[in-house]
Amino acid sequence: MAEYKIPKKVKYRKQQRGRMAGKATRGSSLAFGEFALKAMEPAWISGKQIEAARVAITRAVKRGGKLWIRVFPDKPITKKPAETRMGKGKGAPEGWVAVIKPGRILFEMEGVTEEIAREAMELAASKLSVKTKFITRTDQQGGVL
Amino acid sequence: MISDITVKAKIRTQTGSADSRRLRKAGMIPVTVYGDRKAPLSMVVEAKQITMILRSESGHNTIFKLQAPDQEDTNVMIKEWQLDPVTGKLVHADFFRISLTEKQRVSVPLEFAGEARGVKIDKGILEHSLREIEIECLPTEIPEHITVDISGLGLGEHIYAKDIKVAANIRVVTPPEQAVVAVLAPRVQEETIATEVAEPEVIKKGKQEE
Repeated sequence: MAEYKIPKKVKYRKQQRGRMAGKATRGSSLAFGEFALKAMEPAWISGKQIEAARVAITRAVKRGGKLWIRVFPDKPITKKPAETRMGKGKGAPEGWVAVIKPGRILFEMEGVTEEIAREAMELAASKLSVKTKFITRTDQQGGVL
Repeated sequence: MISDITVKAKIRTQTGSADSRRLRKAGMIPVTVYGDRKAPLSMVVEAKQITMILRSESGHNTIFKLQAPDQEDTNVMIKEWQLDPVTGKLVHADFFRISLTEKQRVSVPLEFAGEARGVKIDKGILEHSLREIEIECLPTEIPEHITVDISGLGLGEHIYAKDIKVAANIRVVTPPEQAVVAVLAPRVQEETIATEVAEPEVIKKGKQEE
């Protein structure tokens, strides 16, 4: 079975949870493609979810088009085994997540019609644990009225 | 592009984030006006009007008149603007005073004409590396867009900034070797769902196994 993307090297195996306050300040504008999927709320998106969304987009587009994945799961998540009493230290690393703040661009696409892109992004959005919005380059040009 | 739009502005008497927030709630945005060797000014304008200018054909290159009480009417252009990352609404803008006799450096959108040969016949993917090109010309001569003919572009071929044809009075500032558009070979994306995860290498004194 293939592997979904995780960091090649890390300084520490476990991390504290942290906060997701505020809006995205980086990665909040369309940089490469014509269409994009934007997160509208804060969330942790797992590597598995990102991979599932990528596959959903690839299947919907069938052929042609270029896809950019603008998020990377670089935060390790730990979990304690089932039926374990509290204490005795932090659990073992279980997976990887990307920390998403509202306004963050998740995926970008190019080389397909808006209709296909919208459909593909909708399918991808259903794989993610975050409310999203489909945006185009024209939306970004001068802002929303 | 010179337009006949006149934007009414007021000088900001109060400053700070709280005042800016109040302004935005009332449908206005704070703007900074500078350039033309004059002192910068903090002003307030209607957000909707600026959004309309940005969404127009000539976009941020539209030259419009800024009218403020006790101030001389000035020709300005939108130099910089900020959007809210979530709502996409305009939150701030920088206006640049324009002297109609002085050359300006502006970025003009590129319009791609025709369907590339590599896309039509070889089913390649058109990749845009640049969507705007930086040019230098008089404010009165700024084009709405620059058309780039891509119909002859085959698979694996590029169009560079030096290949773009512009009018004689316009100088391209973008480096000539900068790629603008290319046709890439179609790549089949892996469809299988990846599920397994290997452990990454831990740098330095990270614990190994528990």
